Amino acid sequence: MSLLLACGSREAGVPTLRWYVFNERSGAFQEAARRCSQASEGAYRVDFVPLPADASQQREQLVRRLAAEDSDIDIIGMDVIWTAEFAEAGWILPWPRETAEEVAAHRLGPPVESARYDGRLWAVPFTTNAQLLWYRTDRVERPPETWDEMIRMAEELGEVGTIEAQGERYEGFSVFFVSLLASAGGSVLGEGEGTDSGSGVALPREPTLDALRVMRKLATSPAADPSLPRAREDQARLAFEAGGASFMVNYTFVWPSARRNAPEVAEHMAWARWPAVDPGRPSRVTVGGINLAVGAYSRHPELAFRAAECIASAENQRLAASQGGLPPTMESLYDEEEVREAFPFADLLRETLRDAVQRPRTPLYTDVSLAISHTLHPMSEIRPEEDLRRLRNAVVRALRSEGLF
Amino acid sequence: MSRLVSRLPGLWHRLGRSAEERLGWLLCAPAVLAMLLVTAYPILYALWLSLFRYDLRFPDRRTFVGLDNYASVLTSGVWWESVLNTLIITLGSVSVELILGMGLALLMHRAVFARRTLRASVLVPYGIITVVAALAWKFAFDPVTGFINPLVGVDHAWLSHRWSAFLVLILTEIWKTTPFMALLLMAGLTLVPKDVLDAARVDGASGPQRFFRITLPLMKPAILVALLFRTLDAFRIFDTVFIQTRGAQNTESVSVVGYNALITRLNLGLGSAVSVLIFVCVILIALLFIKGFGTRMSRPEEAR
Amino acid sequence: MRGGGGGVPEHRSLLDRLFWRVGTVVVIVFALLPVAWIASLSLKPAADLNDNRFLPRDVSLEHYRSIFQDPQFPAALWNSVGIATLSTVLSVILAMFAAYAIVRLRFRGRRLVLGAALSIAMFPPIAVVGPLFNLWRNLGLFDTWPGLILPYMTFTLPLAIWTLSAFFREIPWELDRAARVDGATPFQAFRHVIAPLAAPGVFTAAILVFIFAWNDFLFAAALTSTNDARTVPAAIAFFTGSSRFQLPTGSIAAASMVVTVPVLLVILAFQRRIVAGLTQGAVKG
Repeated sequence: MSLLLACGSREAGVPTLRWYVFNERSGAFQEAARRCSQASEGAYRVDFVPLPADASQQREQLVRRLAAEDSDIDIIGMDVIWTAEFAEAGWILPWPRETAEEVAAHRLGPPVESARYDGRLWAVPFTTNAQLLWYRTDRVERPPETWDEMIRMAEELGEVGTIEAQGERYEGFSVFFVSLLASAGGSVLGEGEGTDSGSGVALPREPTLDALRVMRKLATSPAADPSLPRAREDQARLAFEAGGASFMVNYTFVWPSARRNAPEVAEHMAWARWPAVDPGRPSRVTVGGINLAVGAYSRHPELAFRAAECIASAENQRLAASQGGLPPTMESLYDEEEVREAFPFADLLRETLRDAVQRPRTPLYTDVSLAISHTLHPMSEIRPEEDLRRLRNAVVRALRSEGLF
Repeated sequence: MSRLVSRLPGLWHRLGRSAEERLGWLLCAPAVLAMLLVTAYPILYALWLSLFRYDLRFPDRRTFVGLDNYASVLTSGVWWESVLNTLIITLGSVSVELILGMGLALLMHRAVFARRTLRASVLVPYGIITVVAALAWKFAFDPVTGFINPLVGVDHAWLSHRWSAFLVLILTEIWKTTPFMALLLMAGLTLVPKDVLDAARVDGASGPQRFFRITLPLMKPAILVALLFRTLDAFRIFDTVFIQTRGAQNTESVSVVGYNALITRLNLGLGSAVSVLIFVCVILIALLFIKGFGTRMSRPEEAR
Repeated sequence: MRGGGGGVPEHRSLLDRLFWRVGTVVVIVFALLPVAWIASLSLKPAADLNDNRFLPRDVSLEHYRSIFQDPQFPAALWNSVGIATLSTVLSVILAMFAAYAIVRLRFRGRRLVLGAALSIAMFPPIAVVGPLFNLWRNLGLFDTWPGLILPYMTFTLPLAIWTLSAFFREIPWELDRAARVDGATPFQAFRHVIAPLAAPGVFTAAILVFIFAWNDFLFAAALTSTNDARTVPAAIAFFTGSSRFQLPTGSIAAASMVVTVPVLLVILAFQRRIVAGLTQGAVKG
């Protein structure tokens, strides 16, 4: 215990709140921490404590320490999918009811939903993220509306008509599947009555089969990238920037990256809404991002709530957007000039975010995600009917935390 | 605590009837203590946990289930497939490493030309951080950004198919740890007395004859240590598989399965059972080696 | 087979010499090719990362600059050097005592020690990390140098003990007595007769321990939390690309090149000592 006191440099009197979040490169988070420390006028000081870059490594470190009741963790930068898990385990504190309304106000719906579990609010949404479709304007006249159309267009383009997506056996794979399923009108877990913990498995037949068919079609098409089974967001970006691809589904970070690293490609790069599965139904993608929660063993929970609210306030979100390239969760910011400069696609992004869906909301989400990716990977070997059955079994077992994956 | 202290003299005398015995224990004590302190508690705790159904996210729902976790693991296809995969990787890499390592050891021993460069460069791969080595090879074999495909003249997504993925994994392992074998074997070569070899040469024995009849048998202890420890390590391979394939395309090793259960899913009971089973497998391998080689490590000197 | 030192010089045919030289070159290339690849990645500007070229078209030091600007990396480098060195020294010393006892003394439990050492080396580290984390936090060893030195020592002791036992077993200990009969003090006998014979084993064990401590990621990631004790492999996990999804390939490559240097120094320093035991031939003759 005494070692933990020695860890942070503490001035006598001013409580230090330690904010554990991924190591944000541009310095926007450190700046936000500094601003809030100043704004508190001596009530508290926020220390930025970096976590590893990879989301699963962040979770690993946080879980280990929270399970050991580490009082050093005051504010946590939580990936949206951890809410149910951390809340159920008692590792984070529910937001005080008095301020919960206020905190959720003026923010986009899906990010707020991602911070809710079991009827309470557990975190304040800070930044968010969603995928868009990126395409080459010099190769196609208009963006495709559905996956079938995109695959057809890509095949017609021949060698340069590759579609970049994320097909490695990791969280991004589950994200892809859940997005396709939602676009087809289905969901993984059933809507339970009363609780929103989604304890039953849905995976309705037609939508799931549609999603699986799209995945198979993409992976077996000549338009697929041969390293699709190994591709994550960054590989997709690199391949697109290399010029050999015409379509890509990815997050917004690809835009500033292309402008910086591959200007010849960026010149002909445009965005559109994620392709739909059914021609009549607009696509829906999963929402990502960071929410700020308060550690359950923090020694200054009230101060931590205040600090978290400050960090997630509009001015810091603006900073995170313009400097860090992280989309804000406050609706009004999408109309501001600074944000629109960083995100020329701000309107499309906001629209996509308004329609975004949650990944399965259960404390056992990591098990479910493993079940999905392990059952369905690699995409090219999907057999829709059989895999529907296998997937249902796998998710049921995951929800009971049974067996190995 | 004071009772233990007062018991010490008695313990001390029971430990060693002779001064030699006591000295022996005294010299071993620091090492043994260090090993116990750090590993006894974790290992025993893992054994203990494996008997429970315990999910870290639901700490109140911990229940004793006896050997259920083991039954669950041993009846799981995932487990047995991963055992097979691990054996493939282990046998593939260790066998090649032994031969290459021996060759390298001979080379390092005999080399006059660029001796220091050779010795230093051979050991560099072993000194590169495993994670980085795995990434470097993954990148090298990437169809889009890597240099292997243009070099070999094919257009193959190596890590996307099971057997070529095994090839990449095994190649990475071989590149990374042949130096380990080479180092131990080269040091083992120094145990071979020169005069015996000289006498044999004078007697007309050819190079290969000298090698197989004299050098190899005299190197047996070094070979045993190298092979044993390398195999134990190879069986527990984790970083390379995790980084290069994440276990996809049916290349999952047993450690990856353990990681998924223990860390990703926080199922401490199941994960601990997997760990104990890995431990058992490794013990079996070790026993096989020791029986097979039959070398006695602890014979006192007069038996020589 | 050459024993080195004095003795009957072997006549090597031209073909023989050529064979060994070519072999040497091939080995050096194979060993260093991926290292050259990593070096190349570290010198490529971020924009050029995905050209299929082996060598960089333009050389850029941006990655090296960025890792040294980040305060985490120099601290991690220092931690790595210190922790690995201390672990090596401690592990080798303890292993020497134990190996000596096992080989030269008769005591019950000799084989038990060897067996226990082996068992510890066989347990999957992942399962050890969690409980060790809890134990260290309770003992106040979390995020400290001893907190890493102890596990590194422990997990390398088995290999060190077994290696040294294998070597000590082959040492002709009677030479020690002979030297003392000849009038040398025990210390002189040890230093001039035994130590050179033990050197190959000792330095081999030292290299192996050092590299283990240097390379380890699992314990370093779990048992540290700040720059106080975080070593380089764990620090690499904190490198970020320009955004959340970008792999900081350039920085990782640059960091690896930088950390290879101390390892190279250790190897160069020790490799000579390992084959110093070649004088054994002269002694026995």
